[in-house]
Amino acid sequence: MTAQILNGLIVGSMYALVAIGFTLVLGVLDRLNFAHTEVFMFGAFAGLVAIDAGGIWWLALPFVFVVGGLFGMAVEFISFRRFEGDARITAALSSLAVGLVLIDLTQKVWGTEPVGMTIPGYVTTAGFELFGMRVVYVQLLILGVTLALMASLHLLVSRTRMGRNIRAVADSPAAASLLGIDVRRVTQDVFFVSSALAGVAGLLLAFRTGFANTDVGLTFGLKAIAIMAIGGMGDLRGAVVGGLLIGVLEALTFQFGVGKLGELVVWVTMILVLFVRPEGLFGGGVHVKDVRA
Amino acid sequence: MPVADREEPPVLRVEALAKQFDGLRAVDGVSFDVARGEIVGIIGPNGAGKTVLINLISGFYPATSGSVHLAGEDVTSLPLHEIGRRGIARTFQNIRLFRRMTVLENVLIADQRHARRPARAFFAFGRQRTEIARAARYLELMGLAARADRLAGTLPYGEARRLEIARALATEPKLLMLDEPAAGMNEEETAELVQDVRRARAAVDAIVLIEHDMSLIQALSDRVVAMDYGRVMAAGTPAEVLADPNVQRAYLGEEGGP
Repeated sequence: MTAQILNGLIVGSMYALVAIGFTLVLGVLDRLNFAHTEVFMFGAFAGLVAIDAGGIWWLALPFVFVVGGLFGMAVEFISFRRFEGDARITAALSSLAVGLVLIDLTQKVWGTEPVGMTIPGYVTTAGFELFGMRVVYVQLLILGVTLALMASLHLLVSRTRMGRNIRAVADSPAAASLLGIDVRRVTQDVFFVSSALAGVAGLLLAFRTGFANTDVGLTFGLKAIAIMAIGGMGDLRGAVVGGLLIGVLEALTFQFGVGKLGELVVWVTMILVLFVRPEGLFGGGVHVKDVRA
Repeated sequence: MPVADREEPPVLRVEALAKQFDGLRAVDGVSFDVARGEIVGIIGPNGAGKTVLINLISGFYPATSGSVHLAGEDVTSLPLHEIGRRGIARTFQNIRLFRRMTVLENVLIADQRHARRPARAFFAFGRQRTEIARAARYLELMGLAARADRLAGTLPYGEARRLEIARALATEPKLLMLDEPAAGMNEEETAELVQDVRRARAAVDAIVLIEHDMSLIQALSDRVVAMDYGRVMAAGTPAEVLADPNVQRAYLGEEGGP
Protein backbone atom coordinates (compact mmCIF):
# COMPACT_ATOMS: atom_id res chain seq x y z
CA MET A 1 0.00 0.00 0.00
CA THR A 2 2.70 2.51 0.96
CA ALA A 3 4.68 1.38 -2.07
CA GLN A 4 1.67 2.11 -4.25
CA ILE A 5 1.27 5.55 -2.69
CA LEU A 6 4.94 6.27 -3.37
CA ASN A 7 4.45 5.15 -6.95
CA GLY A 8 1.40 7.35 -7.20
CA LEU A 9 3.30 10.36 -5.90
CA ILE A 10 6.04 9.78 -8.45
CA VAL A 11 3.67 9.52 -11.39
CA GLY A 12 1.70 12.40 -9.90
CA SER A 13 4.76 14.63 -9.70
CA MET A 14 5.28 14.14 -13.43
CA TYR A 15 1.61 14.90 -14.10
CA ALA A 16 2.04 18.03 -12.02
CA LEU A 17 5.07 19.16 -14.01
CA VAL A 18 3.10 18.92 -17.26
CA ALA A 19 -0.04 20.47 -15.73
CA ILE A 20 1.99 23.42 -14.42
CA GLY A 21 2.93 24.28 -17.99
CA PHE A 22 -0.66 24.10 -19.20
CA THR A 23 -1.91 26.20 -16.35
CA LEU A 24 0.85 28.80 -16.58
CA VAL A 25 0.13 29.51 -20.25
CA LEU A 26 -3.60 29.53 -19.57
CA GLY A 27 -3.22 31.79 -16.54
CA VAL A 28 -1.16 34.35 -18.42
CA LEU A 29 -2.63 34.20 -21.93
CA ASP A 30 -6.05 32.71 -21.28
CA ARG A 31 -5.26 30.23 -24.04
CA LEU A 32 -4.84 26.46 -24.19
CA ASN A 33 -1.60 25.21 -25.70
CA PHE A 34 -2.37 21.79 -27.15
CA ALA A 35 1.18 21.40 -28.48
CA HIS A 36 2.23 21.16 -24.83
CA THR A 37 1.55 17.41 -24.56
CA GLU A 38 3.79 16.77 -27.55
CA VAL A 39 6.66 18.89 -26.24
CA PHE A 40 6.34 16.60 -23.21
CA MET A 41 6.44 13.57 -25.51
CA PHE A 42 9.42 14.95 -27.44
CA GLY A 43 11.39 15.50 -24.22
CA ALA A 44 12.24 11.80 -24.14
CA PHE A 45 13.49 11.79 -27.74
CA ALA A 46 15.58 14.90 -27.22
CA GLY A 47 17.00 13.03 -24.22
CA LEU A 48 17.84 10.06 -26.46
CA VAL A 49 19.80 12.37 -28.74
CA ALA A 50 21.71 13.82 -25.82
CA ILE A 51 22.53 10.43 -24.29
CA ASP A 52 23.65 8.97 -27.62
CA ALA A 53 25.81 11.99 -28.36
CA GLY A 54 27.24 12.77 -24.94
CA GLY A 55 27.39 9.52 -23.05
CA ILE A 56 26.77 11.15 -19.67
CA TRP A 57 23.14 10.24 -19.10
CA TRP A 58 22.23 12.91 -16.55
CA LEU A 59 23.40 15.73 -18.82
CA ALA A 60 20.28 14.92 -20.83
CA LEU A 61 18.23 16.67 -18.11
CA PRO A 62 19.58 20.21 -18.62
CA PHE A 63 19.76 19.59 -22.38
CA VAL A 64 16.08 18.65 -22.52
CA PHE A 65 15.18 21.61 -20.32
CA VAL A 66 16.68 23.98 -22.89
CA VAL A 67 15.40 22.12 -25.97
CA GLY A 68 11.90 21.91 -24.48
CA GLY A 69 11.98 25.62 -23.69
CA LEU A 70 13.07 26.52 -27.22
CA PHE A 71 10.31 24.33 -28.65
CA GLY A 72 7.87 26.22 -26.46
CA MET A 73 9.08 29.55 -27.82
CA ALA A 74 8.67 28.22 -31.35
CA VAL A 75 5.11 27.14 -30.56
CA GLU A 76 4.41 30.61 -29.19
CA PHE A 77 5.69 32.15 -32.41
CA ILE A 78 3.82 29.79 -34.72
CA SER A 79 0.51 29.29 -32.94
CA PHE A 80 -0.07 32.19 -30.57
CA ARG A 81 1.63 35.42 -31.52
CA ARG A 82 -0.46 36.03 -34.62
CA PHE A 83 -3.77 35.33 -32.93
CA GLU A 84 -4.45 38.25 -30.67
CA GLY A 85 -7.63 39.31 -28.96
CA ASP A 86 -10.51 36.91 -29.23
CA ALA A 87 -8.90 34.36 -31.55
CA ARG A 88 -8.51 31.85 -28.70
CA ILE A 89 -9.94 28.90 -30.56
CA THR A 90 -7.86 29.57 -33.67
CA ALA A 91 -4.71 29.60 -31.54
CA ALA A 92 -5.72 26.39 -29.75
CA LEU A 93 -6.38 24.63 -33.06
CA SER A 94 -3.11 25.82 -34.52
CA SER A 95 -1.22 24.50 -31.50
CA LEU A 96 -3.09 21.18 -31.77
CA ALA A 97 -1.89 20.89 -35.37
CA VAL A 98 1.68 21.72 -34.35
CA GLY A 99 1.51 18.95 -31.73
CA LEU A 100 0.22 16.37 -34.23
CA VAL A 101 2.90 17.33 -36.74
CA LEU A 102 5.52 16.90 -34.01
CA ILE A 103 4.25 13.35 -33.30
CA ASP A 104 4.39 12.52 -36.98
CA LEU A 105 7.88 13.92 -37.50
CA THR A 106 9.14 12.07 -34.43
CA GLN A 107 7.68 8.83 -35.79
CA LYS A 108 9.32 9.47 -39.17
CA VAL A 109 12.72 9.62 -37.46
CA TRP A 110 12.40 7.04 -34.67
CA GLY A 111 9.52 4.87 -35.89
CA THR A 112 6.22 4.14 -34.16
CA GLU A 113 7.59 1.53 -31.74
CA PRO A 114 8.92 2.60 -28.31
CA VAL A 115 12.68 3.24 -28.40
CA GLY A 116 14.78 1.85 -25.54
CA MET A 117 16.68 4.34 -23.45
CA THR A 118 19.95 3.15 -21.99
CA ILE A 119 20.75 4.61 -18.63
CA PRO A 120 22.91 2.86 -16.04
CA GLY A 121 21.47 0.00 -13.99
CA TYR A 122 22.52 1.68 -10.73
CA VAL A 123 19.78 4.21 -11.47
CA THR A 124 17.02 2.07 -12.95
CA THR A 125 17.27 -1.15 -10.95
CA ALA A 126 19.40 -0.55 -7.83
CA GLY A 127 17.77 0.79 -4.72
CA PHE A 128 17.29 0.27 -1.00
CA GLU A 129 14.74 -0.82 1.58
CA LEU A 130 12.81 1.83 3.50
CA PHE A 131 10.24 0.77 6.12
CA GLY A 132 9.94 -2.55 4.34
CA MET A 133 9.31 -0.85 1.02
CA ARG A 134 11.67 -1.10 -1.93
CA VAL A 135 12.79 2.29 -3.28
CA VAL A 136 14.60 2.39 -6.61
CA TYR A 137 17.02 5.25 -7.19
CA VAL A 138 15.21 6.41 -10.33
CA GLN A 139 12.15 7.03 -8.15
CA LEU A 140 14.21 9.29 -5.90
CA LEU A 141 15.65 11.00 -8.95
CA ILE A 142 12.19 11.76 -10.32
CA LEU A 143 10.90 13.05 -6.99
CA GLY A 144 14.05 15.11 -6.43
CA VAL A 145 14.06 16.71 -9.86
CA THR A 146 10.35 17.48 -9.91
CA LEU A 147 10.39 18.92 -6.37
CA ALA A 148 13.44 21.04 -7.18
CA LEU A 149 11.81 22.37 -10.34
CA MET A 150 8.54 23.14 -8.57
CA ALA A 151 10.34 24.91 -5.73
CA SER A 152 12.39 26.92 -8.25
CA LEU A 153 9.27 27.85 -10.15
CA HIS A 154 7.59 28.96 -6.94
CA LEU A 155 10.59 31.17 -6.12
CA LEU A 156 10.67 32.51 -9.67
CA VAL A 157 7.00 33.46 -9.63
CA SER A 158 6.84 34.80 -6.08
CA ARG A 159 10.23 36.44 -5.58
CA THR A 160 11.82 37.60 -8.81
CA ARG A 161 10.97 40.52 -11.02
CA MET A 162 10.36 38.15 -13.88
CA GLY A 163 7.77 36.34 -11.78
CA ARG A 164 6.19 39.59 -10.68
CA ASN A 165 5.91 40.66 -14.30
CA ILE A 166 4.35 37.30 -15.19
CA ARG A 167 1.73 37.73 -12.48
CA ALA A 168 1.07 41.31 -13.56
CA VAL A 169 0.49 40.26 -17.18
CA ALA A 170 -1.77 37.45 -15.97
CA ASP A 171 -3.85 39.97 -14.02
CA SER A 172 -4.07 42.83 -16.50
CA PRO A 173 -1.97 42.84 -19.68
CA ALA A 174 -3.14 46.34 -20.61
CA ALA A 175 -2.10 47.91 -17.33
CA ALA A 176 1.14 45.90 -17.28
CA SER A 177 2.26 47.01 -20.72
CA LEU A 178 1.71 50.68 -19.99
CA LEU A 179 3.91 50.32 -16.90
CA GLY A 180 6.71 49.37 -19.28
CA ILE A 181 6.36 45.58 -19.23
CA ASP A 182 6.94 44.01 -22.62
CA VAL A 183 4.00 41.60 -22.73
CA ARG A 184 5.41 39.69 -25.70
CA ARG A 185 8.66 39.11 -23.83
CA VAL A 186 6.83 37.88 -20.75
CA THR A 187 4.78 35.58 -22.99
CA GLN A 188 7.97 34.08 -24.41
CA ASP A 189 9.34 33.58 -20.90
CA VAL A 190 6.17 31.78 -19.90
CA PHE A 191 6.29 29.49 -22.94
CA PHE A 192 9.96 28.74 -22.34
CA VAL A 193 9.48 27.85 -18.70
CA SER A 194 6.31 25.80 -19.15
CA SER A 195 7.69 23.83 -22.09
CA ALA A 196 11.04 23.28 -20.41
CA LEU A 197 9.25 21.66 -17.47
CA ALA A 198 7.16 19.52 -19.82
CA GLY A 199 10.27 18.37 -21.68
CA VAL A 200 11.98 17.35 -18.44
CA ALA A 201 8.82 15.53 -17.32
CA GLY A 202 8.86 13.58 -20.59
CA LEU A 203 12.48 12.57 -20.07
CA LEU A 204 11.84 11.53 -16.46
CA LEU A 205 8.96 9.34 -17.62
CA ALA A 206 11.32 7.68 -20.12
CA PHE A 207 13.89 7.14 -17.35
CA ARG A 208 11.20 5.36 -15.36
CA THR A 209 9.77 3.19 -18.15
CA GLY A 210 13.06 2.74 -20.01
CA PHE A 211 11.48 3.81 -23.29
CA ALA A 212 10.85 6.89 -25.37
CA ASN A 213 7.36 6.53 -26.79
CA THR A 214 5.47 8.74 -29.25
CA ASP A 215 2.13 7.81 -27.64
CA VAL A 216 2.70 9.40 -24.26
CA GLY A 217 1.57 12.88 -25.26
CA LEU A 218 -1.95 11.68 -25.96
CA THR A 219 -2.12 9.11 -23.15
CA PHE A 220 -0.12 10.51 -20.23
CA GLY A 221 0.17 14.17 -21.29
CA LEU A 222 -3.47 14.80 -22.06
CA LYS A 223 -4.40 13.94 -18.47
CA ALA A 224 -2.56 17.08 -17.45
CA ILE A 225 -5.37 19.14 -18.99
CA ALA A 226 -7.85 17.39 -16.70
CA ILE A 227 -5.50 17.93 -13.76
CA MET A 228 -5.33 21.63 -14.56
CA ALA A 229 -9.12 21.80 -14.51
CA ILE A 230 -9.28 19.83 -11.26
CA GLY A 231 -6.77 22.13 -9.57
CA GLY A 232 -8.34 25.32 -10.91
CA MET A 233 -7.61 26.81 -14.32
CA GLY A 234 -4.45 28.89 -14.19
CA ASP A 235 -3.63 27.98 -10.58
CA LEU A 236 -0.10 26.70 -9.95
CA ARG A 237 -0.85 25.19 -6.53
CA GLY A 238 -3.87 23.50 -8.07
CA ALA A 239 -1.72 21.88 -10.76
CA VAL A 240 0.66 20.44 -8.16
CA VAL A 241 -2.03 19.23 -5.76
CA GLY A 242 -4.18 17.93 -8.63
CA GLY A 243 -1.25 16.06 -10.18
CA LEU A 244 -0.29 14.34 -6.93
CA LEU A 245 -3.93 13.58 -6.15
CA ILE A 246 -4.56 11.91 -9.49
CA GLY A 247 -1.26 10.02 -9.33
CA VAL A 248 -2.15 8.54 -5.93
CA LEU A 249 -5.79 7.84 -6.85
CA GLU A 250 -4.66 5.97 -9.97
CA ALA A 251 -2.13 3.95 -7.99
CA LEU A 252 -4.73 3.03 -5.38
CA THR A 253 -7.25 2.01 -8.05
CA PHE A 254 -4.59 -0.31 -9.37
CA GLN A 255 -3.83 -1.60 -5.85
CA PHE A 256 -7.42 -2.59 -5.16
CA GLY A 257 -7.60 -4.75 -8.24
CA VAL A 258 -9.58 -2.42 -10.41
CA GLY A 259 -6.56 -1.51 -12.50
CA LYS A 260 -8.56 -1.54 -15.71
CA LEU A 261 -10.47 1.46 -14.42
CA GLY A 262 -7.22 3.34 -13.76
CA GLU A 263 -7.40 5.31 -16.97
CA LEU A 264 -10.87 6.53 -16.05
CA VAL A 265 -9.87 7.91 -12.66
CA VAL A 266 -8.62 11.26 -13.91
CA TRP A 267 -11.60 11.97 -16.14
CA VAL A 268 -14.19 10.87 -13.59
CA THR A 269 -12.47 12.95 -10.92
CA MET A 270 -12.46 15.94 -13.23
CA ILE A 271 -16.18 15.57 -13.95
CA LEU A 272 -17.02 15.22 -10.26
CA VAL A 273 -14.79 18.07 -9.06
CA LEU A 274 -16.06 20.44 -11.74
CA PHE A 275 -19.66 19.46 -11.03
CA VAL A 276 -19.27 20.35 -7.36
CA ARG A 277 -16.77 23.21 -7.75
CA PRO A 278 -16.78 24.61 -11.30
CA GLU A 279 -13.74 26.77 -10.49
CA GLY A 280 -11.68 23.72 -9.46
CA LEU A 281 -10.08 22.95 -6.10
CA PHE A 282 -8.30 26.31 -5.95
CA GLY A 283 -9.59 29.67 -7.07
CA GLY A 284 -7.62 29.89 -10.28
CA GLY A 285 -5.07 32.36 -11.55
CA VAL A 286 -1.31 32.88 -11.35
CA HIS A 287 -0.77 34.25 -7.90
CA VAL A 288 1.04 33.81 -4.63
CA LYS A 289 -1.53 34.68 -2.00
CA ASP A 290 -5.22 33.99 -1.96
CA VAL A 291 -7.43 36.84 -3.15
CA ARG A 292 -9.98 36.10 -0.48
CA ALA A 293 -7.35 36.50 2.27
CA MET B 1 -0.64 79.44 -14.41
CA PRO B 2 2.97 78.27 -14.71
CA VAL B 3 4.80 79.66 -17.68
CA ALA B 4 6.92 77.25 -19.70
CA ASP B 5 10.37 78.17 -20.91
CA ARG B 6 10.08 79.23 -24.54
CA GLU B 7 12.90 76.93 -25.61
CA GLU B 8 11.53 73.88 -23.85
CA PRO B 9 9.17 71.63 -25.83
CA PRO B 10 5.78 71.13 -24.16
CA VAL B 11 5.39 68.00 -22.00
CA LEU B 12 2.65 66.86 -24.36
CA ARG B 13 1.88 68.07 -27.86
CA VAL B 14 -1.10 66.56 -29.63
CA GLU B 15 -1.33 67.54 -33.30
CA ALA B 16 -4.32 66.92 -35.60
CA LEU B 17 -4.90 63.58 -33.91
CA ALA B 18 -7.69 61.51 -35.47
CA LYS B 19 -9.18 58.05 -34.98
CA GLN B 20 -11.57 56.46 -37.42
CA PHE B 21 -13.58 53.43 -36.35
CA ASP B 22 -15.75 51.84 -39.05
CA GLY B 23 -17.99 54.70 -40.09
CA LEU B 24 -17.31 56.76 -36.97
CA ARG B 25 -14.71 59.48 -36.57
CA ALA B 26 -14.37 59.20 -32.78
CA VAL B 27 -11.53 61.74 -32.61
CA ASP B 28 -11.42 64.21 -35.46
CA GLY B 29 -8.35 66.40 -35.67
CA VAL B 30 -7.64 67.27 -32.04
CA SER B 31 -4.67 69.53 -31.26
CA PHE B 32 -3.53 70.89 -27.91
CA ASP B 33 -0.38 71.36 -25.80
CA VAL B 34 0.27 70.65 -22.15
CA ALA B 35 3.06 72.75 -20.65
CA ARG B 36 5.33 71.82 -17.78
CA GLY B 37 3.60 72.15 -14.42
CA GLU B 38 0.10 72.28 -15.87
CA ILE B 39 -3.01 70.32 -15.07
CA VAL B 40 -5.19 70.29 -18.18
CA GLY B 41 -8.78 69.15 -17.84
CA ILE B 42 -10.59 67.51 -20.74
CA ILE B 43 -14.35 67.73 -20.58
CA GLY B 44 -17.21 66.88 -22.86
CA PRO B 45 -20.49 65.01 -22.92
CA ASN B 46 -20.57 61.22 -23.08
CA GLY B 47 -19.38 60.01 -26.44
CA ALA B 48 -17.43 63.21 -27.15
CA GLY B 49 -14.27 61.16 -27.67
CA LYS B 50 -12.44 61.88 -24.39
CA THR B 51 -11.57 58.31 -23.56
CA VAL B 52 -10.66 57.51 -27.17
CA LEU B 53 -8.32 60.50 -27.04
CA ILE B 54 -6.58 59.24 -23.89
CA ASN B 55 -6.34 55.77 -25.46
CA LEU B 56 -4.69 57.29 -28.52
CA ILE B 57 -2.18 59.29 -26.49
CA SER B 58 -1.25 56.30 -24.32
CA GLY B 59 -0.99 54.00 -27.35
CA PHE B 60 -3.92 51.66 -26.71
CA TYR B 61 -5.33 52.54 -30.12
CA PRO B 62 -3.14 53.28 -33.14
CA ALA B 63 -3.95 56.75 -34.48
CA THR B 64 -5.50 57.02 -37.92
CA SER B 65 -3.59 60.26 -38.47
CA GLY B 66 -1.90 63.02 -36.51
CA SER B 67 0.86 62.83 -33.94
CA VAL B 68 1.66 62.75 -30.23
CA HIS B 69 4.92 64.22 -28.96
CA LEU B 70 6.14 63.71 -25.42
CA ALA B 71 8.73 66.30 -24.38
CA GLY B 72 9.58 66.83 -28.03
CA GLU B 73 9.86 63.13 -28.84
CA ASP B 74 7.44 61.49 -31.29
CA VAL B 75 5.71 58.62 -29.50
CA THR B 76 2.78 58.20 -31.89
CA SER B 77 3.45 54.73 -33.21
CA LEU B 78 5.54 53.21 -30.42
CA PRO B 79 4.46 49.92 -28.82
CA LEU B 80 2.58 50.29 -25.53
CA HIS B 81 5.40 49.29 -23.21
CA GLU B 82 7.76 51.73 -24.95
CA ILE B 83 5.29 54.57 -24.45
CA GLY B 84 5.16 53.60 -20.78
CA ARG B 85 8.94 53.60 -20.52
CA ARG B 86 9.23 57.00 -22.27
CA GLY B 87 7.10 58.56 -19.55
CA ILE B 88 3.34 58.41 -20.07
CA ALA B 89 1.37 56.90 -17.20
CA ARG B 90 -2.36 56.67 -16.82
CA THR B 91 -5.20 55.37 -14.73
CA PHE B 92 -8.30 53.70 -16.10
CA GLN B 93 -11.97 54.55 -15.85
CA ASN B 94 -12.62 51.03 -14.61
CA ILE B 95 -9.71 50.56 -12.22
CA ARG B 96 -7.16 48.02 -13.47
CA LEU B 97 -5.05 46.94 -10.53
CA PHE B 98 -3.16 43.67 -10.25
CA ARG B 99 -5.83 42.31 -7.95
CA ARG B 100 -4.02 39.14 -6.96
CA MET B 101 -0.86 40.98 -5.92
CA THR B 102 -0.24 42.96 -2.76
CA VAL B 103 -0.53 46.73 -2.65
CA LEU B 104 3.26 46.99 -2.37
CA GLU B 105 3.85 44.64 -5.30
CA ASN B 106 1.50 46.70 -7.45
CA VAL B 107 3.82 49.66 -6.97
CA LEU B 108 7.02 47.59 -7.26
CA ILE B 109 5.87 46.40 -10.69
CA ALA B 110 5.99 49.96 -11.93
CA ASP B 111 9.76 50.04 -11.45
CA GLN B 112 10.86 48.77 -14.85
CA ARG B 113 14.18 50.57 -15.05
CA HIS B 114 15.91 47.20 -15.17
CA ALA B 115 13.86 46.22 -18.21
CA ARG B 116 16.67 46.85 -20.68
CA ARG B 117 18.92 44.43 -18.84
CA PRO B 118 17.12 41.08 -18.77
CA ALA B 119 19.67 39.41 -16.50
CA ARG B 120 18.87 41.89 -13.76
CA ALA B 121 15.20 41.06 -14.06
CA PHE B 122 16.11 37.58 -13.00
CA PHE B 123 18.67 38.11 -10.29
CA ALA B 124 16.78 40.72 -8.39
CA PHE B 125 17.08 39.37 -4.87
CA GLY B 126 19.96 41.65 -3.88
CA ARG B 127 18.54 45.07 -4.53
CA GLN B 128 15.04 44.48 -3.24
CA ARG B 129 15.49 46.72 -0.21
CA THR B 130 16.12 50.03 -1.99
CA GLU B 131 13.37 49.16 -4.42
CA ILE B 132 10.91 48.57 -1.60
CA ALA B 133 11.90 51.79 0.16
CA ARG B 134 11.25 53.65 -3.05
CA ALA B 135 7.87 52.03 -3.59
CA ALA B 136 6.94 52.73 0.04
CA ARG B 137 7.42 56.46 -0.59
CA TYR B 138 4.70 56.40 -3.25
CA LEU B 139 2.39 54.47 -0.95
CA GLU B 140 3.07 57.07 1.72
CA LEU B 141 2.30 59.89 -0.72
CA MET B 142 -1.11 58.38 -1.46
CA GLY B 143 -1.81 57.48 2.17
CA LEU B 144 -1.58 53.73 1.63
CA ALA B 145 1.47 52.88 3.75
CA ALA B 146 -0.62 50.89 6.24
CA ARG B 147 -2.11 48.82 3.41
CA ALA B 148 1.19 47.62 1.89
CA ASP B 149 0.67 43.90 2.53
CA ARG B 150 -2.97 43.68 1.63
CA LEU B 151 -4.09 42.18 -1.63
CA ALA B 152 -5.03 44.92 -4.06
CA GLY B 153 -8.26 43.12 -4.90
CA THR B 154 -9.51 43.60 -1.33
CA LEU B 155 -9.13 47.40 -1.18
CA PRO B 156 -12.22 49.59 -0.92
CA TYR B 157 -12.96 51.72 -3.97
CA GLY B 158 -11.36 54.98 -2.87
CA GLU B 159 -8.11 53.28 -1.85
CA ALA B 160 -8.02 51.27 -5.06
CA ARG B 161 -8.18 54.56 -6.98
CA ARG B 162 -5.33 55.96 -4.92
CA LEU B 163 -3.25 52.83 -5.44
CA GLU B 164 -3.72 53.15 -9.17
CA ILE B 165 -2.37 56.69 -8.96
CA ALA B 166 0.55 55.58 -6.75
CA ARG B 167 1.40 52.84 -9.25
CA ALA B 168 1.29 55.31 -12.14
CA LEU B 169 3.56 57.73 -10.25
CA ALA B 170 6.06 54.97 -9.49
CA THR B 171 6.92 54.74 -13.20
CA GLU B 172 8.30 58.28 -12.70
CA PRO B 173 6.34 59.56 -15.67
CA LYS B 174 6.60 62.92 -17.35
CA LEU B 175 2.86 62.93 -18.01
CA LEU B 176 0.13 61.46 -15.83
CA MET B 177 -3.32 60.98 -17.35
CA LEU B 178 -6.32 60.35 -15.11
CA ASP B 179 -9.42 58.95 -16.80
CA GLU B 180 -12.53 59.98 -14.82
CA PRO B 181 -10.93 59.44 -11.41
CA ALA B 182 -14.02 60.69 -9.56
CA ALA B 183 -16.40 58.26 -11.27
CA GLY B 184 -18.47 56.49 -8.64
CA MET B 185 -17.14 58.62 -5.77
CA ASN B 186 -19.24 60.49 -3.24
CA GLU B 187 -18.59 64.13 -2.37
CA GLU B 188 -16.27 63.36 0.50
CA GLU B 189 -14.18 60.97 -1.59
CA THR B 190 -14.04 63.52 -4.41
CA ALA B 191 -12.72 66.13 -2.00
CA GLU B 192 -9.99 63.70 -0.92
CA LEU B 193 -9.20 63.03 -4.57
CA VAL B 194 -8.56 66.74 -5.13
CA GLN B 195 -5.91 66.60 -2.40
CA ASP B 196 -4.41 63.41 -3.87
CA VAL B 197 -4.09 64.92 -7.33
CA ARG B 198 -2.45 68.04 -5.90
CA ARG B 199 0.12 65.86 -4.17
CA ALA B 200 0.63 63.82 -7.33
CA ARG B 201 1.25 67.02 -9.26
CA ALA B 202 4.54 67.56 -7.47
CA ALA B 203 5.81 64.18 -8.66
CA VAL B 204 5.22 64.63 -12.40
CA ASP B 205 5.80 67.27 -15.07
CA ALA B 206 2.15 67.58 -16.07
CA ILE B 207 -1.28 66.03 -15.62
CA VAL B 208 -4.14 65.48 -18.05
CA LEU B 209 -7.44 65.00 -16.27
CA ILE B 210 -10.51 63.62 -18.02
CA GLU B 211 -13.55 64.28 -15.92
CA HIS B 212 -17.28 64.58 -15.88
CA ASP B 213 -17.41 66.19 -12.46
CA MET B 214 -17.20 69.95 -13.03
CA SER B 215 -16.34 70.75 -9.41
CA LEU B 216 -13.23 68.61 -9.74
CA ILE B 217 -12.27 70.22 -13.05
CA GLN B 218 -12.69 73.70 -11.57
CA ALA B 219 -10.75 72.84 -8.43
CA LEU B 220 -7.77 71.34 -10.25
CA SER B 221 -7.37 72.47 -13.86
CA ASP B 222 -5.16 75.30 -15.02
CA ARG B 223 -6.67 75.00 -18.47
CA VAL B 224 -9.62 73.13 -19.92
CA VAL B 225 -10.15 71.58 -23.35
CA ALA B 226 -13.83 70.96 -24.12
CA MET B 227 -14.65 68.29 -26.70
CA ASP B 228 -17.76 67.36 -28.60
CA TYR B 229 -18.21 64.99 -31.56
CA GLY B 230 -14.51 64.22 -31.52
CA ARG B 231 -13.45 67.85 -31.97
CA VAL B 232 -12.17 70.57 -29.70
CA MET B 233 -15.12 72.84 -29.04
CA ALA B 234 -13.40 75.34 -26.75
CA ALA B 235 -10.12 75.69 -24.89
CA GLY B 236 -8.88 78.13 -22.24
CA THR B 237 -9.14 78.78 -18.52
CA PRO B 238 -11.91 76.87 -16.72
CA ALA B 239 -14.00 80.05 -16.41
CA GLU B 240 -13.65 80.88 -20.12
CA VAL B 241 -14.50 77.41 -21.29
CA LEU B 242 -17.48 76.98 -18.99
CA ALA B 243 -18.83 80.35 -20.15
CA ASP B 244 -18.53 79.35 -23.81
CA PRO B 245 -22.02 79.19 -25.38
CA ASN B 246 -21.20 76.02 -27.33
CA VAL B 247 -20.06 74.29 -24.14
CA GLN B 248 -23.18 75.42 -22.34
CA ARG B 249 -25.34 74.08 -25.14
CA ALA B 250 -23.54 70.73 -25.26
CA TYR B 251 -23.99 70.31 -21.54
CA LEU B 252 -27.62 71.36 -21.45
CA GLY B 253 -29.45 68.61 -19.64
CA GLU B 254 -26.21 66.69 -19.10
CA GLU B 255 -25.70 65.35 -15.62
CA GLY B 256 -22.87 67.18 -13.87
CA GLY B 257 -23.11 70.13 -16.26
CA PRO B 258 -22.19 73.68 -15.22
